Amino acid sequence: MGRIWTAQGGRSSRHQEPARAVKFSEANLVEYGFVVCCPPTRSPKRDRMSRTLFVPFTLGFLALTAGCGPRNEYVRGSQQPGIDSAAMSTGLDKQDIQQMLQENLNNLRVAPVMDTWRKGGGKTIVAVFPFSNETTEHIESQLGAILGEAETWLVESNAVTVVARERQNQIIAEIEGNRNAVFNPAHVAQYGKQLGAQYFLTGKVQTSDERTEDARRVQYFFFMQVIEIETGAIRWQHKAYVTKMVR
Amino acid sequence: MKGLGFLSGGGICFVVAQFLAGCGGHELRTIQARTALDAGQPRQAIEYINHELGVGADKDMPADLAGDNALLVLDRGTIQQSLTQFALSERDFEASDKAIDMLDLAHNAGDSIGEYIFSGSAGRYNDQTNAKHLINTLNMINYLETRDLSGAKVEARRLGVMQRYVKDELKEPNNSILGLGGFLAGFVYEKSGNADEALRWYDDALAFAGYGSLSTAIRELASRGSYKSPRIAKVISATEGVVDSPSAEDGGDVICIVGYGRVPHKIPKRIPIGLALTMVADNIEPTNRAAANRLAAKGLVTWINYPAMAPEQGGWGVPSCTIDGQAIPMTEAVNVSAEVIAQWRKIEGKIILSAITRLVTRYAVGEGIEQAGNKSPLALIASLGAQATLTALDTPDTRSWETLPARVAVGRVRVPPGRHTVTASARSATRTQPIDVARGGWVAVSLQALR
Repeated sequence: MGRIWTAQGGRSSRHQEPARAVKFSEANLVEYGFVVCCPPTRSPKRDRMSRTLFVPFTLGFLALTAGCGPRNEYVRGSQQPGIDSAAMSTGLDKQDIQQMLQENLNNLRVAPVMDTWRKGGGKTIVAVFPFSNETTEHIESQLGAILGEAETWLVESNAVTVVARERQNQIIAEIEGNRNAVFNPAHVAQYGKQLGAQYFLTGKVQTSDERTEDARRVQYFFFMQVIEIETGAIRWQHKAYVTKMVR
Repeated sequence: MKGLGFLSGGGICFVVAQFLAGCGGHELRTIQARTALDAGQPRQAIEYINHELGVGADKDMPADLAGDNALLVLDRGTIQQSLTQFALSERDFEASDKAIDMLDLAHNAGDSIGEYIFSGSAGRYNDQTNAKHLINTLNMINYLETRDLSGAKVEARRLGVMQRYVKDELKEPNNSILGLGGFLAGFVYEKSGNADEALRWYDDALAFAGYGSLSTAIRELASRGSYKSPRIAKVISATEGVVDSPSAEDGGDVICIVGYGRVPHKIPKRIPIGLALTMVADNIEPTNRAAANRLAAKGLVTWINYPAMAPEQGGWGVPSCTIDGQAIPMTEAVNVSAEVIAQWRKIEGKIILSAITRLVTRYAVGEGIEQAGNKSPLALIASLGAQATLTALDTPDTRSWETLPARVAVGRVRVPPGRHTVTASARSATRTQPIDVARGGWVAVSLQALR
């Protein structure tokens, strides 16, 4: 219709006849960056009509679009390959997990402790203990996924024998008591001895979480380590970072 | 043709009105749930909220949490907690915490324009009373009830982030809403074996309330940790020489948390423009004042709609908690209502100003239509139609966390190991909970009497 409301904070180049614009005697809309523009020429009758229509139409359009949004739909990852790339929250997603694990496990691959294990011909027994969540996000299920991925990587390396998770849970229940059979990091040496393991792989995720008026940033620090059960010495440790932000 | 044009203008407004006519204020969406809570029927209240959310069960989430549904999920989470459905309450709090945070961060200029032109509820929800800082605190109660210290620590850390935000960014170091969180987070870290972090949180809590029941715990923590502060030192010196029984190794700790009543929710209010101008006389801009004065002088249909606070519900209850019939001394940890009202008072003027601006805008729209139609009778009708439509669309923003308890009281006691019975009551609601306390162990029992 020729009249445009812009929210650009400045006057539009099409604003050629300010005197013909609809007159808002209380021009508070301009405060918010709205500029009312008119087409240069038009018949007076038509112009009057469009002026009359303009205000309710524009208000109506804005009111309607304010309440409108796209409809939800289900999609399949195999049909939309980019589906995993968008960040959906400040939590950890598959891409973050893969990135952090890749960094750490690539480092473990060339670490001296791995050479020691390889020399053992796959007979060294390693337990994989839960990674602790020291973050501001409820990422327990993601940590479970990390644990599973790390376990799979160790098994596929053929460098060690990995203790089955069910056996670990049995030992934890024996040590902690069935009423409170929860993994206690303070008792890992005891678990390891009961399991007959020489090493255990574990880790933790910490965050630095900051909030401002218009943004929230969560920086993840993912530590993994291999500890020798007999001595308690850390035989390998590495870290990886991931940052998520909402703004 | 001309007449058609004017009528089309009014017609479009009518169509818009049809789209938004169904969108009453938020308080209308929750009135049934609130009525059920008043009648002491939280189960019924959840049914109403599920119906509003368009879901069939307490565990179901709405397809869209990006809008005002987040608030309904938050309300449902609070009621689920009152029904001791702690796992479901955890889920609701976590989902709404993220969704409300997102809405808060996404609140932009477009929302403000909507609020100033169409309706107070046109923009995205923006918590103006800082009540959302209690989401993490209440969720900590869920994790303590389910004995999940790891989950409780996540909530404590999230609370820490918000606490820093409130203190450093909002410059509100004395916001007492943070005190209860300090008490609970301190307990979480104490039972996780982190003495310094526990003392730091208890120190924060002591800034807002006395918490006499913490003295034994603070003394024990101070002997293991290195954190020091004047408040902690004062507690230790005040209880020097006092022998408590039994010691931490010989007994277990029980904390009782009782929330009762509901904070004032928001209601729409209509006042004459003249009164509104008096209320915001010092703050209104000269151009708006002149326009509003002209409108007031006309004396016709010049009312403004804006949200106001309804009376608090049930804040005068007396909470109690007993263990094996023995009363546990309770401390009022936070008067949420007072804090919410205080925050509201700070922004009420701005809310009224935006309502006046909407009124002036409606008047300007009508004037524009009349002028464009050369003040013909048809133009007058179109103008009145447009103004009436915009008036009908002007819904005051009554969105808020309506099921938030008005007050929360806490108590803590050390008992011999073994089986005990805790009874918590407030506002005619009672929860009796048998508990097993291990040597050196702990148990948390809560009651939310939201009536």
